[in-house]
Amino acid sequence: MSILLDLREKKTSLNSKQNGGRSLLWAAVAVCGIVSQFVMPDFLLAQGSEAMRQYGDFPLVGSRVAIWVAAQVHLLFAAFVLGVPMFAVVAEAVGIFGGDSKYDKLAKEFTRLLLVAYSATAIWGAILSFLLVTLYPGLWLYLVEIFQVSMWVYVSLFFFESFTLYLYYYGWDLWSKGRAKLVHWTLGILLNVWGTAVMFIANSWLTYMMSPPADVTPDTAPGMVQFWSAFANATWMPINIHRIIANVVFGGAIVGAYAAYRFLVAKTDEERAHYDWMGYIGNLIAIGALIILPFAGYYLGREIYEFNQQMGITMMGGFMSWLWIIQAFLIGVLFLAGNYYLWVGMGRIPGAERFTPYTKWMLVVLVLGVMVWATPNTMIADREEIAAMGGTHHPFLGVLGVMSAKNTAVNLMILTTFLSFLLYRRANSRPTVTWARTATIVQVALFVISTFVVLFYGVWGYFVPAITRIGFSVYQVLAVLATIIGVITIDVFMLRGAESRGDIRWGQMPARSQYALFILAVTFTWLMGLMGFARSGIRQHWHVWEVMRDTSEQAATPALGYAAIVISGCVLIFFALVSFIFWLGGLAEKGTKVLSDTAKVEARPGVSQ
Amino acid sequence: MLAEHLKIIGVVVGTIGIFTLLANAIPQVQSEVPLDVSFGADVSASELTASGELLFGSAGGCTACHGLGTRAPNLLTGNGGDGPIGVRCNNRVPGESCKEYLYLAMVDPNVYMVEGYSPIMPDMRRSLSNDQIWALVAYLEAQGGEVTVTGADINQGREDSASSASTATVDNGVAAPASSATDPVDILNGNACLGCHILNGTGAPIGPSFDGIGSRLTADYIRESILDPGAGASEGFEASLGLMPAIYGNQLTAQQLENVVMFLANRR
Repeated sequence: MSILLDLREKKTSLNSKQNGGRSLLWAAVAVCGIVSQFVMPDFLLAQGSEAMRQYGDFPLVGSRVAIWVAAQVHLLFAAFVLGVPMFAVVAEAVGIFGGDSKYDKLAKEFTRLLLVAYSATAIWGAILSFLLVTLYPGLWLYLVEIFQVSMWVYVSLFFFESFTLYLYYYGWDLWSKGRAKLVHWTLGILLNVWGTAVMFIANSWLTYMMSPPADVTPDTAPGMVQFWSAFANATWMPINIHRIIANVVFGGAIVGAYAAYRFLVAKTDEERAHYDWMGYIGNLIAIGALIILPFAGYYLGREIYEFNQQMGITMMGGFMSWLWIIQAFLIGVLFLAGNYYLWVGMGRIPGAERFTPYTKWMLVVLVLGVMVWATPNTMIADREEIAAMGGTHHPFLGVLGVMSAKNTAVNLMILTTFLSFLLYRRANSRPTVTWARTATIVQVALFVISTFVVLFYGVWGYFVPAITRIGFSVYQVLAVLATIIGVITIDVFMLRGAESRGDIRWGQMPARSQYALFILAVTFTWLMGLMGFARSGIRQHWHVWEVMRDTSEQAATPALGYAAIVISGCVLIFFALVSFIFWLGGLAEKGTKVLSDTAKVEARPGVSQ
Repeated sequence: MLAEHLKIIGVVVGTIGIFTLLANAIPQVQSEVPLDVSFGADVSASELTASGELLFGSAGGCTACHGLGTRAPNLLTGNGGDGPIGVRCNNRVPGESCKEYLYLAMVDPNVYMVEGYSPIMPDMRRSLSNDQIWALVAYLEAQGGEVTVTGADINQGREDSASSASTATVDNGVAAPASSATDPVDILNGNACLGCHILNGTGAPIGPSFDGIGSRLTADYIRESILDPGAGASEGFEASLGLMPAIYGNQLTAQQLENVVMFLANRR
């Protein structure tokens, strides 16, 4: 149950003619949000803690599933509306400073998707807030007592975020030249600042539930909890960092899926070419950010262990141990789908055929990596199972299931995926600088050295104590990161002024490549649901870890199969809604196009109505 | 166009379906809520053992470490040929009975570290009640030994818990401070400091030794290390950074803290 009290609302349309109904909705949501955040706690306080019920009931699915679905779907939309502005503003910058206007158009199209998704985020935020107030009033009141100041700030930031977004989108064509364009770009940066601040505040509430300060006990009155120590708790910053990166990954994947859909239903070659390119950018963003996401995951996991060893062990080796096998499978699907898309995409790049022989070897590395990563290690086993296995670890698979093997596998998978990107990038270029051959040799050497470092520490890890072995992962990660940064820096300089081997034939992609983008988006979404379950589930039967016990009938943390059904339900709801709002966005686009065409006809000499 | 839409829906629903099936195909383990138990004076060994078994296998979370033998000793099978815990518990600490040893291992787990393992076990009073802990003790005794836990033990445990709750200035659920003790050695013992530090040759070398500490560190540094142990690690103990809980600022009175600081600073 991801309790993200993220209420995103209060948007006022700048265009009342087009958005009159939406304004009304915002007003209603805004009022509801304010009522829920300010009036309701006072009302509950007035009841007295003795008389107040701790839990409500929700028909059919129960309170737990109701709040779970509301929080998860809200979180998915929130991740999208926080991730997209990050790369929209980067795309706009590329358009401004690189002089390529197609990036500016792409940034605007990203922002249009953002605009329509923002509505759904607000609605689901309101649903989540009301469900929390009515189904878990005791918990809600407890959190309000500690975090009310941050809730006021949170609400205030909505106004800034909402109005900045509207100014950013509706001012796009108005402020398109000179200094005005730079001001417009600054609005985009500001939008990210507000959005990030909103997320950081909401993250403090949910991470407090995971990792309250050590001096907070079940007997500590919530009003006595020091605000800042509760706000900046042990897992707050790791979650912030992890979510920033994950939002970019998710935003890129959804944009990729949107582009894939538009590609498949496109009626003209021009349209197909545009959405092919947009899909490529979406995939580039998603996989590019995915490469660094595991490092943020390690940081988060480490901080969880630092906060409470028991919590960390429950997460990695307790009743959740199988969850990481499912996670490994999902990430394997992501790596394979992302790479497959790139390999297929090389078919439309003149000169890429020289790299085709390497594809099968990269596939071999990826498949082996997934197999190792998905090998179970520390499973809960009873006496009979241990006896049947001949020990606490499987005699053969146990060797592959340990952290040394898994770290080695994932680092090699990251290197392989980066190599795919590099080959894709180099496919139709012929460097003209005199030092190209030397630079290429250096690049190859960097790959070889980092592969050696990863393998060396992976093997050595079997012969040292656990505490030393954990430290080895840092060296492996540093080697991979250094290679990525070094190789790409060399590449950027080497390909300056490079000759083209021919134009990329945008739009000439087989349909199967687009389905890979759908699989990427669905898998990312499902993975987010799974990780939300992991993060929230490690609290087990505690609302606030070892401080506030969940005494409801549904306090037990469900098994993975049950969780998977709820996650799948959330993903289906999300995709149904996102399809609908993108379809609505498409309608608005058609309306704009008709108006534009009409204007052209009116402006044409000799044509009058 | 319809066919294209159906294909897209098929891919989306099919992908979600595969993930759902996969997650349902693996072993299903639910994290149970520890059952509230309350035993009377005439509770039988079989009642205690049955409750303890339930806790050990599920809500107690014990198997996450003790079921493997890598993070903590495996209690159900032989650990290095010593037999299950019910057999070896009597010999772990001279002078302590099996149930005393097991109870202490759960409420103050760092006092007797088994060689080769890290001090990762939490004080089980944070998550389990007195009666639940005694039920676990009985279950562990039953692994190859005789159950000696009685209703009187459980009742005594309740009285101790109530007493410690009333005298502790702040109840963090961890080892209670030595109440109003002002003698630094009593304070160090009462807060289980020797579970990780050595004093007069006694204790565990997980953190820096208290012997001669005054010649290595200043009083201010010692005070800061007690109040904010995560701020830094002493040389040679970098791997232990993060193990010491940051609770003593609340758990000790100002007088107790100063007494301990001055005591340690003068150990040259």
